[in-house]
Amino acid sequence: MFTHTPLRLTTLATLAIGALAYAFVAGFFGLEILAEIAILAILVIALDLVAGFGGMLSLCHGALLGVGAYAFTVAAKDAGLSAFPAMVLAVALSAALAFVIGAVCARSIGIYFIMATLAFGQMAYSFVFQSPLFGGDDGLSGAPRPDLTAIGIDLTDSRAFAIYAIALVALTYLVAASTLRSGLGRSLVGLHHNEKRLRALGLTVWRAKATAFAISGALAGLAGCLAAQHTQYISPGLLSWTVSGEALVVVILGGLGTLAGPIVGAILFVVLKHEISAITPYWHAIVGLILIAVVMSRANGVFGYVEARMAARAAKPTLEKAKADA
Amino acid sequence: MTTDLGFWVLQTLNALQLSMLLFLLSVGLTVIFGLMHFVNPAHGSLYAFGAYMAASLAGVLGYWGGFFLVPLAVAALGAVLYFTLIRSQRRAGPMAQVLVTFGLIFVAVDATRLIWGDLPIGIAIPAMFEGQLPLLGVEYPIYRLFIIALGLVVLAALTLVLTRTQIGAMIRAGVDNDQMAACLGINVERMFFLVFVVGCALAGLAGAVAAPVLSVTPDMGLQILIPTLIVIVIGGLGSLKGAVAGSLIFGFVQTFGAVLLPTLNSVLIYALLAAVLVIRPEGLLPAKG
Amino acid sequence: MLETRALNKSFGAIHVTKGVSLRLEKGERRVILGPNGAGKTTLFNQLVGELTPNSGSIHLDGADITALRVADRARLGLSRSYQKNTLFDGLTIGENLGLSAAVALGKGQGLWRDPLQSAEVRETVKEVAAQVDLAPLLAMPVNAVSYGIRRQLEVGIALSTRPKFILMDEPTSGVGPEMSKGFHRLLKALPRDLTVLIIEHDMDLAFDVADTITVLNYGEVVFDGLPGAARDSQLLKDIYLGAWEDA
Repeated sequence: MFTHTPLRLTTLATLAIGALAYAFVAGFFGLEILAEIAILAILVIALDLVAGFGGMLSLCHGALLGVGAYAFTVAAKDAGLSAFPAMVLAVALSAALAFVIGAVCARSIGIYFIMATLAFGQMAYSFVFQSPLFGGDDGLSGAPRPDLTAIGIDLTDSRAFAIYAIALVALTYLVAASTLRSGLGRSLVGLHHNEKRLRALGLTVWRAKATAFAISGALAGLAGCLAAQHTQYISPGLLSWTVSGEALVVVILGGLGTLAGPIVGAILFVVLKHEISAITPYWHAIVGLILIAVVMSRANGVFGYVEARMAARAAKPTLEKAKADA
Repeated sequence: MTTDLGFWVLQTLNALQLSMLLFLLSVGLTVIFGLMHFVNPAHGSLYAFGAYMAASLAGVLGYWGGFFLVPLAVAALGAVLYFTLIRSQRRAGPMAQVLVTFGLIFVAVDATRLIWGDLPIGIAIPAMFEGQLPLLGVEYPIYRLFIIALGLVVLAALTLVLTRTQIGAMIRAGVDNDQMAACLGINVERMFFLVFVVGCALAGLAGAVAAPVLSVTPDMGLQILIPTLIVIVIGGLGSLKGAVAGSLIFGFVQTFGAVLLPTLNSVLIYALLAAVLVIRPEGLLPAKG
Repeated sequence: MLETRALNKSFGAIHVTKGVSLRLEKGERRVILGPNGAGKTTLFNQLVGELTPNSGSIHLDGADITALRVADRARLGLSRSYQKNTLFDGLTIGENLGLSAAVALGKGQGLWRDPLQSAEVRETVKEVAAQVDLAPLLAMPVNAVSYGIRRQLEVGIALSTRPKFILMDEPTSGVGPEMSKGFHRLLKALPRDLTVLIIEHDMDLAFDVADTITVLNYGEVVFDGLPGAARDSQLLKDIYLGAWEDA
C-alpha cells in the first residue's frame, strides 16, 4: 500500500526546493532542461500510477500524451479557446480515451495487456499521422501558453514557464498520491496482488481499472498540454510507442511503484541524455546499458534501491517487536 | 483496376511475400514465448544485424555467402546473449527478461550505427534471381517469389521437426506444460537454448533475405518489431499454426488495406489486433487448449 | 437462506455436480464432507459464481442469483475463503483485512477518502482480527508470517466483508492438530446468525461444529442430515473408510 515514508517526503521536499532554487538561478538552457524534465516527470508519474501500483504496463501513454497535446493545440488555435479551457478540454479527452482503453483492456493481463495498449496507442498515432486536420507528418505549430499577465506572470519568459511547469508536476504528484490513498487506489494495489480475490469481495474490477487508467490518462494529457506549450510545435512522433517505451524505461530506472522514484528517474534520464549526447551521438546505447545493469542488479531502480536499503535496516527491529507481541 | 485479375494476383503475391518474411521472424519469437514465457523485443534487432551482415558479406562472398553464413553468425550472437543475459534473468521472471532485452534494443540500434553508419545500405539481388517471371498475366520479380518459396520451405521443415522428431515432441510437451516436461526427464535448459538459438538464426535469415528488397537502416529492427509482435499476438502466443495464421492475416490486411482502403490502412491492422484481443484475448490459435 | 435446485455441472465428459439440491436455513452451520474429487470445491465455485452451472439454479434469500456475477453475489452478502491461500501478498495483515472490508463496504472505487482510515473499516478490521486471533499481528507483512497465520487470514478476509453467508473451503487444510483445535474454537465463536457452509476433511471438526452434514460422492449428495445420523451411517463408512480410521 502506498504510504509517505519519511524518505519519500524528504526526497520530494528536496526535489521541490532544488528545482525551484535552480529555476531562479539557471540560464536559458538550464530552464529548457527543467521544463523538459517537468514534462517527462508528469508522464512517468502518470505511468507509475497504473504500471507500478496497478501492474498495468501500458504502451499507450505516449499516445495519451500526444492526444492531449493535439487536442490542446487544436482547441486553442483553431477553435479559439483560451489556454486554460483548452487544457481542461484536452485533459478530459485524454481521460475519456484512457477510460475506454482501460475498460476494453481490463480483461487482458501480462503481455496481452501490453500489446492491447500498444494497439490502441498505435491506432491513435496512425490516425493523427494520416488525418489532414492535424497537419500529418508536418505536425502543428502555434500552441499558445496560458496568459497569466493578469496576476503579473509572463509565461513567455522561460523562467516563469519553468516554475509553472514545476507547479504542474506538484499538482500531478498530489493527484496521483491522493488517488493512491483513496478507495480506488487501495483497490488498484489489491488488483495488482490478487484480482480474483477482489472480485470475490465484491469489486467491479473493470470499472476500477478503467477509472484508474482514466486518471493516469488525464495526467498524461496534462503532460501533453505542457509539451505543446513548451515547444509550441507538436508532431505525430509524440504519440509513438517509443515515447511510451522510453517512459517505461524512466519508471524502471527510477523505481517502479514508488511515485517519487520516477521523478528521480526523469531527472537522471534528461540530464544523462543531454550530458551524454554532448560527448557521443550514441547516448541511447548508454541508456540501454544502464537499463540492463539496473534490471540485472535486481534493484527496483535507483530510488527503489535506496528505499530497500533503508527498509532492510528498519525492518529487523519491527519484526522482532511484532514477534514479541505475538 | 480491382476487376483486373492481374491486380489480384500481384497483390496476393505481395501479401504472401510480406507474410513469409514475418513468419520467419515470428515463429522463433512465438516458440520461445511458448517455452520460456517471455517475449524477446530484441528479436527485431537480430533481424537488423542479419540484414547488415548480409550487406557486408555480399561485397566479399557474394549474396549466397551471406545467405548461409548470416544465420550461423546471428545464431552465435544469440548464443552469447543467451549465456550472458537471458539465462541469468530466468529466475528473475519474464518482466526482467523483457526489460533486459528492451535495453538491448537501444544498444543494438547504436551498435549498428557505430559499425555501419546512419545511411541506408542497399544490396543487390543475386544474379540467378534477377528479373521478372510471367505469372497468371503479371510479371513478378523472381526474388520475391524466392522469398515466398523460402518461407514455405522453412514452414514445412519446422512442421516436420515439430511433429515427427523426438526433439519436436519435447518442444511441444514443453510448450504445453514446462513443469511436466521437466518431470519427464527432458533437459529443459538445453531445449530452451536450442530453441532460442534456432529462433535467432531464423531472424538472421529473415534479415539476410529482406536486405535486397528493403533498404538496410539502423531502425529496421524497431520497425519490424511491432508487426512481428502483432502477428504472434493475433495468432496466439506459443503456437506454430498461430504464427502462420497471424503472418498471413497481417500480410494480407496490410497489403490489400494499402491499395483498397488507403485512408484507413494504418489504423486497420491495429483495429484488427484490438478486436482479436477483446474477443479472443488468447489469440486465434493459442498453443494451449 | 441459501438454496440450490438440481445443480448440474460437467467438464467435457466428466460430470462433477449431479443434481445437487441443498437448502441452508439462516444461521445454520453445515459441513460438506466427501472424498477427494467428490466435487465439493466445484460446488462452491458455482455458489459464488466463479463457475456457471450447466443447469439448475441457486437462490439467496429467495432470489435467483444463478445469473449474477461473482462481485454482485458478494455484494448480496455471500463470502468465501479458499482452500489455497488467496491473499494480498506484499501487504500487511491489517491492510489485507482493511482492503477487504473497504471493498465490501462499497468504498473500493471512491476517489476522495482513504477507506483504511474510515471508522467503519477500522472497526471491522478490529473485530475480525479478534475473531480470527490476528489482533497483535496487524502490522506484519503477509509474506513474513507462518502458513497457519496465513490460513487464519484467509478466513479473516472472508469475514471482513461482514457476510450473511460464508463458505469456507477446508479452512484447516495443511495446518497441524493444535492449530485445528484453535480453528474449532474460532468457528464456534462466530455469530449465530451467520450461515456457514464448510468443506472439511477433518471429521472431528465436522462433528464438533456442524448443525447438519452433507456428504458428496462423485458429485452427488449421498447423505444429508444430522451429525449423529452421519456418524452411524454405513454408507458413509464405506465411502470414507480411510478418513474414518484417521479420525
